[in-house]
Amino acid sequence: MSIGTYIKTGIITLTWIPVLATVCDHVAFFGHIEGSSMKPALNPDASLGWTDTVWLKKWGIHKPGSIQVGDVVLLRSPDDPEKILAKRVLAVGGDEVVTRKTYPRPVCRIPPNHIWAEGDNIHSIDSNNFGPVSTGLIIGKASNIVFPFNRFGPVPNGGREARLSHLNRYHNSLKAKELEDETDK
Amino acid sequence: MTSKNFLAFPLRTFSISVRLAFAIHFVHTHFYEVTLTQGESMLPTLRVSGDWVHADKQFRRGRNCQVGDVIVAVKPTDPEQRVCKRITGMEGDLIMVDGTVEHGDEKFIRVPKGHCWVTGDNLSSSLDSRSYGALPLALIKGKIIAKTGGDKWFERIENNLVDAKE
Repeated sequence: MSIGTYIKTGIITLTWIPVLATVCDHVAFFGHIEGSSMKPALNPDASLGWTDTVWLKKWGIHKPGSIQVGDVVLLRSPDDPEKILAKRVLAVGGDEVVTRKTYPRPVCRIPPNHIWAEGDNIHSIDSNNFGPVSTGLIIGKASNIVFPFNRFGPVPNGGREARLSHLNRYHNSLKAKELEDETDK
Repeated sequence: MTSKNFLAFPLRTFSISVRLAFAIHFVHTHFYEVTLTQGESMLPTLRVSGDWVHADKQFRRGRNCQVGDVIVAVKPTDPEQRVCKRITGMEGDLIMVDGTVEHGDEKFIRVPKGHCWVTGDNLSSSLDSRSYGALPLALIKGKIIAKTGGDKWFERIENNLVDAKE
């Protein structure tokens, strides 16, 4: 091959880079999970020497209703724009959330197009520290674990139920059961 | 052989247009973008309609942004919309939420870490941090450096906030 062919191939390769970069940014790409805030669903044991890699869906995640309770999302930290966090969505816009102790109020109402994001691990810096976050900060929804291969599969469920309405329902059903038991006696 | 030649031209045109479109998008998200603005919130800096703004995308995520810069950002209450506002407070600043209230009714807010306070230049008709709270720096998409509109082709938008003097 002549030098001219090399240059031509090089230029053609260069023109495909923006295509690749944009698809990785907006359609889907791998995402790396660091830290232990999603333990045990992701990175269950830090001492094993590996961390989980997930498949991140990015297309259409800013449409209303596309983020649902129970999803694991990667989002830019509201505290530090260069930091990326992996958290579980515990509530979406309109829900009322029972917060943990670090949050100043016991119940928080989520504004529209915001989420309540919390790590599965109790030692996690999340919405209990910085409050509800805008869905605009979400960069992707983790759908599958792709590496290590022995953990291949959908992202495990986890986290607590934090929505006041659901907790009330649970509470009421327990009460109803108690009443039933009493009347049976 | 003839069918291959017949397909070669449209395929090549398609491939080139795809690459060109993505290249433009890449430049728009990472380096520089010109967009049309709308709305009365930035009067008198930007007109209600018909002004094109030049955004420097290297300031995205609030990199090197300062108080007084005009920025374009994703609206926190609706990520499908963009807003154009002026930064009037950075993290750690103490902000008076509304300057028009009676003396004694003022509310003050400390801008949290990694956030900034944004307001429109037209305070009486602007939906901004006064209603949705401090804006996370990560939502900033770029800094407005100039505008094209009216009779001027390229008019710089300066950081026109000045330090208060005693």
